[in-house]
Amino acid sequence: MAAQVLGRALLPAKSFLEQVGEMMILTARTVAAAVRPPFPYGEELVGQFLFVLKLSWFPMTVSTFALCFGAPGLQAAGVLDLFGALDRLGGFFVVTAVRFIGPIVTAAVVAGVAGTAITADLGARKIREELDALQVLGVDPIKNLVVPRFIALMVITGLLDVFAIVFGLTAGMAATLLYDAPLGGFFATLFTNALTTDVWGSVLMCSLFGAIIAIVCCYKGMTASGGPAGVGRAVNQAVVIIFMANFAFLYTFTAVLLATNPELQTIR
Amino acid sequence: MIGWFDVPRSWLDSAGEIGRFATHVIGLVFSGRVLRFFGESLRQAGILVLGSALIVWAFVFILGLQCGLIGAYFSRSIGAPSNAGLFSAYCDLREGLPYAFGYILSAKVGTGIVAELGAMRISDEIDALEVMGIQPITFLAATRLLGAWIAIPFLYLVGIGLGYFASYLAVVEQVGDVSSGGYLLIFWTFQDFVDVIFSLTKSMVMATTIVLVGCYFGYTASGGPVGVGTATARSMAVNIVLVNIIGMLGTLVFYGSHPRAPIGG
Repeated sequence: MAAQVLGRALLPAKSFLEQVGEMMILTARTVAAAVRPPFPYGEELVGQFLFVLKLSWFPMTVSTFALCFGAPGLQAAGVLDLFGALDRLGGFFVVTAVRFIGPIVTAAVVAGVAGTAITADLGARKIREELDALQVLGVDPIKNLVVPRFIALMVITGLLDVFAIVFGLTAGMAATLLYDAPLGGFFATLFTNALTTDVWGSVLMCSLFGAIIAIVCCYKGMTASGGPAGVGRAVNQAVVIIFMANFAFLYTFTAVLLATNPELQTIR
Repeated sequence: MIGWFDVPRSWLDSAGEIGRFATHVIGLVFSGRVLRFFGESLRQAGILVLGSALIVWAFVFILGLQCGLIGAYFSRSIGAPSNAGLFSAYCDLREGLPYAFGYILSAKVGTGIVAELGAMRISDEIDALEVMGIQPITFLAATRLLGAWIAIPFLYLVGIGLGYFASYLAVVEQVGDVSSGGYLLIFWTFQDFVDVIFSLTKSMVMATTIVLVGCYFGYTASGGPVGVGTATARSMAVNIVLVNIIGMLGTLVFYGSHPRAPIGG
């Protein structure tokens, strides 16, 4: 009796752990399928790359500009202006826009725009039983569907992160100009404080976000089931898992990066 | 395949329809017609709390940790480690928490509403409601909006507390450049009650938008189970951009002309 009650209480935790385990297995199988010849996924890879890029470029641009203009731009510029040190805004943007906001907004937008579309697409194929038909035909769905999406998302989140940083810095320039300050000070402190470590850390982190997005979206899409709400619910669960996983990973990665690279904390 | 400008064009297309739907639903709430289904509103508020509260709070907690971490290392890098409280006060209350709240709400609540209402639409349950003489838009959309307005302020205020606690953990316990009292002194100096009201306003506007966009995409879903999935994906894309824009406009309106910092005369 007690064991039954305990079992029912722990059911959510058990299903959560099972899903995490299945995602890990999917990751391992995806990586193995990606490196083992033959490589039939070239065309699909290009198609997915363009698909994600066409969906994401506009939301990404608008979101990064808006977030960087509001949060680190106006808010920090207001305080720095009280000290008469508005030229320090550039150095502040290295900490926020490059290390933090660029990757997280890119990941949120790619997950929300392209990841959800991938889950809906794969979920539609699952409930139309196209995935089963592929397997009957002897085509491996992991090699032909998951691997191209995995590689495309990893590459494109890293590349979009660079553009997110560019638009974030544009927002910083807009905030500086709003306070009638010259841009020279902004760029001077920006380039004094920005290190190569900052940029590669940001891009690497963002590529790993892309890997998380691809695995979760493909897993949730390929296991969609359960009547008319099935695909919609799969999309819902996928974005929630991605957001939680990405932020937890962001915290771990930032803590490790900042603690192991003391040159990021020196005064310039 | 889709074209390069399809996303902005489709948003422009649907912006007017979303606006009309949203004003209609808000009108139903303010005219009091939703009160006929007040029990359903309370049920929706309960579903919101029971289904989403833990995830929202966990997400806000992680953002608080992140704000504290960045603030601690940033204030060390400008040579003022004891001022980490300034950064985390601004990062938590003024900017970070509304954004984090908007993101997780659009992921959990917004897409959840689309999946639920979309399934009702394609299995003709909404038409059945109409046949039974119940106005579906009032019963489904307006009650969800009222439920969100009832539950979300409390969810958010608890979230603020959790975010503060997480920042404290990251700055004082994890990095440890500043003592507990020194951190809290600066932290509480750089915020007041009005900031909480501003932050709450931002997050309430975000929550209203997310619920309305979710209701619109769910209510107008078509094309079988696949259509529900597509509508869910599209609502998430719209919401994530709207959250960022609302956050920017909120900062511009509340802090654009006056930084509200206790510095100088």
